Amino acid sequence: MNAVFSVIFLAACLLFLLTKPDGFLPAMLAGAEKAAVLALSLLSVYCVWLGFFKVLERSGLSQKLSRRVRPLAKRLFRSDDEAALELACNNLSANMLGLPGAPTPLGIRATEAFLKRNNGYAADMLFVLNATSLQLLPTTVIALRLSAGSASPADIFMPTLLATLFTTLVGTFLVWLFARFRSPNLGHGTKRRRLTVKKHGGSRNL
Amino acid sequence: MNFVALLIPALFLALFCYALKKRVKLYDCFTEGAKQAVPLILSIFPYLAAMLILSELFSAGGLSAILTRFLTPFFELLGIPPEIAPLVLIKPFSGSGSTALLSEIFAAYGPDSYIGRCAAVAYGSGETVFYISAVYFAGSKKQLLLPIAAALVANFLGVVVGCLLCRIL
Repeated sequence: MNAVFSVIFLAACLLFLLTKPDGFLPAMLAGAEKAAVLALSLLSVYCVWLGFFKVLERSGLSQKLSRRVRPLAKRLFRSDDEAALELACNNLSANMLGLPGAPTPLGIRATEAFLKRNNGYAADMLFVLNATSLQLLPTTVIALRLSAGSASPADIFMPTLLATLFTTLVGTFLVWLFARFRSPNLGHGTKRRRLTVKKHGGSRNL
Repeated sequence: MNFVALLIPALFLALFCYALKKRVKLYDCFTEGAKQAVPLILSIFPYLAAMLILSELFSAGGLSAILTRFLTPFFELLGIPPEIAPLVLIKPFSGSGSTALLSEIFAAYGPDSYIGRCAAVAYGSGETVFYISAVYFAGSKKQLLLPIAAALVANFLGVVVGCLLCRIL
């Protein structure tokens, strides 16, 4: 991340210096202001969903629901940490249901829990699953198309679903591939590979 | 869309009834969860700020425009209409920025045109990769290049496939 940040920052900075030096500080402040506004709105969103998920956890329902997909999640994330897996499962289901704002606080807590046990693989996998998330109902796009006067605003449903299915498969495959290159003794040839795909197929039915 | 509108209140109702049956103290429990929001926001804020400053510099400074011009032939080769190239580039950085671009594309080319449909799929299948990575890995010293690269490559290939699907479906 340091490399990405440095490269983009320096390139943008140089460009400002050459074209419009007086726009640089306002642009930075505008970004920071957006962050402050976003943080406030996220605070309210997280309040609601973390309250909701605490009730879900305390009632025992969350454990009950995630127990069914536990074996799949264990393999997908290569983790035995029950609490972290529960958070990760809830994160993925919230994602698929398209509950706005709900997956993030769970994802953050699951990532923290995975990293505490030094399970970088699980953290990467969870991140990529979120960053290539399956879109069952692209509500924002449908609403925007509707307001732009589309004849059938929902007809992009199928291509979007297939495209996100594809991104999820590619993303998880790449994480698995990187992990293999970093520590080749972790995987077991093609057997592992087939497992990854199958695991993933299962976890989608959450 | 109606379904989604029903889903959320129904979820809350079902869960809270179930929790009451299990003798959960709803008020205490809900507030206990909500309390976690404050430290969570405090811990992600600096990363959020850095990311949004970066995204602002990226688009306001003209860097995204230059990259768009540079990458357009490459995009065309892969079947991505050049009109949606800015959208594809800004999506990983900024959700609100890409929403604005999507509206502009709909206004300019119509939501039912090939370009409009491609833009819709590109928007819907992509995620704000940098934002998610900033928030999820807030405070960790982990090497992030590989997972971010994996997500970006997957999202980009998703746009290519999405544009192809728009031509067939």
